[in-house]
Amino acid sequence: MNILGISCHYHDAAACLIKDGQVVVAVQEERFNRIKNSADFPINAINYCIQAGGITFDEIDHVGFYEKPFLKFSRVIIDHLQAWPYSLKNFMDTMPYWLQDRLVLPLTLEKEIGFKGKVFFIKHHLSHAASSFLVSPFEEAAILTSDAVGEWATMTCGRGRGNDIQIFKEIQYPHSLGLVYTAVTTYLGFAAHEGEGTVMALASVGKPKYLDQFRKIVRVKDDGSFFIDESFFGFNKGTRMYSGKFIKTFGTARLPGSALEERHCDVAASLQKFTEETLVTIARDLYKETKLDRLCLAGGLFLNCVANSKILEQGPFKEIFIQPAAGDSGGALGVASYVYHSILKNPRNCVMTHAYLGTEYSADQIKRILLNRNITFKEFDDVELLRYVAGEIAKDKIVGWFQGRMEFGPRALGNRSILANPCNPHIKEILNAKVKKREPFRPYAPLVLEEKAGEFFELKGASPFMLLAPMVKKEKREVVPGIVHVDGTARVQTVNINTNQKLYQLIKEFENLTGVPIIINTSFNLRGEPVVCSPEDAINCFRKSEMDYLVLGNFLVEKS
Amino acid sequence: MEVANSKISLEPKTICKRCVLPESRSDIWLDDEGVCNICREFEKNKEPEQQKTTFLESDFVKILNQNKGNGKYHCLVMCSGGKDSTASLYYMKKRYKVNPLAFTFDHGFETEDALENVRNAVEILGVDYLFFKSDFMKEMFAEIVKTGSKAILCHPCSIWYMGLTYEIAARFDIPIIIAGWTKGQTTQQPVMSRCGCNIHQTEFASMSKETRAFLDGYMKKNLKYHDFPRSMEEVLSRAKKRHKAMVLSPHWFLPTDAHAYVEILKKELNWKFPRLSYPALSTNCYLNFLSVYNSMKNFGYTHYHVEMSKMIRESLLSREEALELLAINFDRGVLDLVAQKLGCTFSASGTLEPK
Repeated sequence: MNILGISCHYHDAAACLIKDGQVVVAVQEERFNRIKNSADFPINAINYCIQAGGITFDEIDHVGFYEKPFLKFSRVIIDHLQAWPYSLKNFMDTMPYWLQDRLVLPLTLEKEIGFKGKVFFIKHHLSHAASSFLVSPFEEAAILTSDAVGEWATMTCGRGRGNDIQIFKEIQYPHSLGLVYTAVTTYLGFAAHEGEGTVMALASVGKPKYLDQFRKIVRVKDDGSFFIDESFFGFNKGTRMYSGKFIKTFGTARLPGSALEERHCDVAASLQKFTEETLVTIARDLYKETKLDRLCLAGGLFLNCVANSKILEQGPFKEIFIQPAAGDSGGALGVASYVYHSILKNPRNCVMTHAYLGTEYSADQIKRILLNRNITFKEFDDVELLRYVAGEIAKDKIVGWFQGRMEFGPRALGNRSILANPCNPHIKEILNAKVKKREPFRPYAPLVLEEKAGEFFELKGASPFMLLAPMVKKEKREVVPGIVHVDGTARVQTVNINTNQKLYQLIKEFENLTGVPIIINTSFNLRGEPVVCSPEDAINCFRKSEMDYLVLGNFLVEKS
Repeated sequence: MEVANSKISLEPKTICKRCVLPESRSDIWLDDEGVCNICREFEKNKEPEQQKTTFLESDFVKILNQNKGNGKYHCLVMCSGGKDSTASLYYMKKRYKVNPLAFTFDHGFETEDALENVRNAVEILGVDYLFFKSDFMKEMFAEIVKTGSKAILCHPCSIWYMGLTYEIAARFDIPIIIAGWTKGQTTQQPVMSRCGCNIHQTEFASMSKETRAFLDGYMKKNLKYHDFPRSMEEVLSRAKKRHKAMVLSPHWFLPTDAHAYVEILKKELNWKFPRLSYPALSTNCYLNFLSVYNSMKNFGYTHYHVEMSKMIRESLLSREEALELLAINFDRGVLDLVAQKLGCTFSASGTLEPK
């Protein structure tokens, strides 16, 4: 049975194909149309799912959509009415999309792919919950989801057992930790849905001087429920997400691109600290309710690896599974899983041990592209390649690493990655200057051999999806200065030989040369662009940057 | 066909360093770096990331669903027995589950291998089949060969074939004509309105001019062909008056490469490569050998060079692969046998002479 899951119309559009319960393909639309966080109907992603899944369009049995558009529309209408006339512009801007696209998905499916079958619309947060629990290794677990807003819900608590998910608590719009985080992100001069990670990094530089103010703006009860003082925000009143009252409390907003002041860092630190303590409170209450040792997390807020670590370290749960595509793209996977397992009552048979679910290119295809672009390259066998690349990384060279299937979700997990030497204390500056052009306070993440992670990090278990930020052991910080953040943490990805053998072997080679089982990994893209998808994208990115090498499969291109 | 072995040498001397087109003034010229104007134009017009001219499969499904109608046949598949057209027939029946009518055209020079491939395909797939064989064009082909005209033999043949296809589509009220044209045989158009080789491409300018000149002159003096269309445009314009059928190829919309579908065809349709054909791994007719010989002699390249160059630019084929496929794999014996069917001989000096 073939189930196609779709998420789109807001941001992070994606498609996912599940065949007899197995997630066979999952990919974001932005990778094809090259529009970062694209919200478009994911026609390219759907085409890829069909072709890579080895089926035809008429072999799709069911389609699942990651939310309920009419329920969401009711919230939007009420919200507009409540904010009238300030919401007029938003109303005028968004209504055409609602009427032409968002409310007519079955028609779009029939028109675009000829699908006339059953479309299941599942609540947004249930899709998130399913995206985590149904592909987790747990038979039974507590489930926590949180993001900006779905239909009405902004956060849900539930329990999963077998193929059943029960949501027993939800917090509704406008009371949303995700929206608060995004509003403050924009206040700090970063883009919504993109700059949240930057704010998380900035938080480490500041002090939580404004924590009490945030505690007053968002009042959290012992049971983890919370209430936002709306007078500080304007989620649907105009072009700005925060109000004049917010500015009076925290000072003038930072203009994008302007200098960062200490105050900005402190606001970020306060927001981050507040988010962490609230999530820990919620997690504790969830544990009380469920008495389960395992927790599944999904929703955009759980891309916040620092908060995730706090839940793991300070919360009562022994094990945590976080969906790697925790944002809305993961909703495509969640809804497809939910339709197959929970609605159609098929037993669970898929554990998501990796996120390599996207596009891949054969050696012949890559070679053809290199030849036809008149690019000089060397072809290696596996052993030679890994030895050579590890050696060059050890010499502080920057390597674009393009291998196998592309990752699903926002993180590059070693198949569409830029790699560098973590032992060089200046590597961050080199990476920023040559490729990433990032703010200087943002850290770079380490890939570490799973079995060696404990030697370097205060990490319980594995972190295969780079969604935890444990402390780097004090005695190791000088060994790998390139990956240590200001606060002593690192955004760790543990690498297991069974899920990415080539990457594992590369790190092993690097360890043989340097004694360090760690390599820096950052996403293979330039600032503001989606992660590369095809060899052509990788070549374009390589040409526009100052990377030293590009490795496409076993072909190595040196910057001339 | 048994042939004497005597190699011919027709390889172009200097070719573009990116694609496989030779310098051929005034259409194609190479710059100081040895890159042709067509490749330069391609580079200039589009950013590398936008250079893909393939469509999505869902576009094809959309076109089919919107246009296939409710008639007995949803599409007419031009099936020569080659890998691409047989794959098109296979896709229509098996992947898109529509009811096709297969149509094969034999001007008297089709190979037995190709025809056997078609017979196998239609039988195994269980599709209705029309086979049309006629030597109606033989005199025109002979005239081109005997007079040493630079007209491309394949051009009037394509005009005739397309005209017939449109007539059959009209007769059976079939709304869609399916060809086996590759991604190298189209320009980016949502729905095809021209023949696979777009003769308006720069690379075809001189060739199509010669064909047009031949047809204009020849048809004035030969009443047999007084109603023969002089160009593909005329075919389209006549067809449009009678019946609106669109022409497209599933290969433009699918990422599958030829190696993959050849394996399916071999396994499921008992399809075989012919013993002799040009370019390598193709299934073209015997007349094609003479057409290729004349094209190479008169212009230095063929429409296959144009097609493969386009595929190289879009990274669907490497230059090395193209050169291998385009290497002349036939000899004088083949040319002489075909020439004799047209009342000529292929002399040892490499010229075609009337018997």
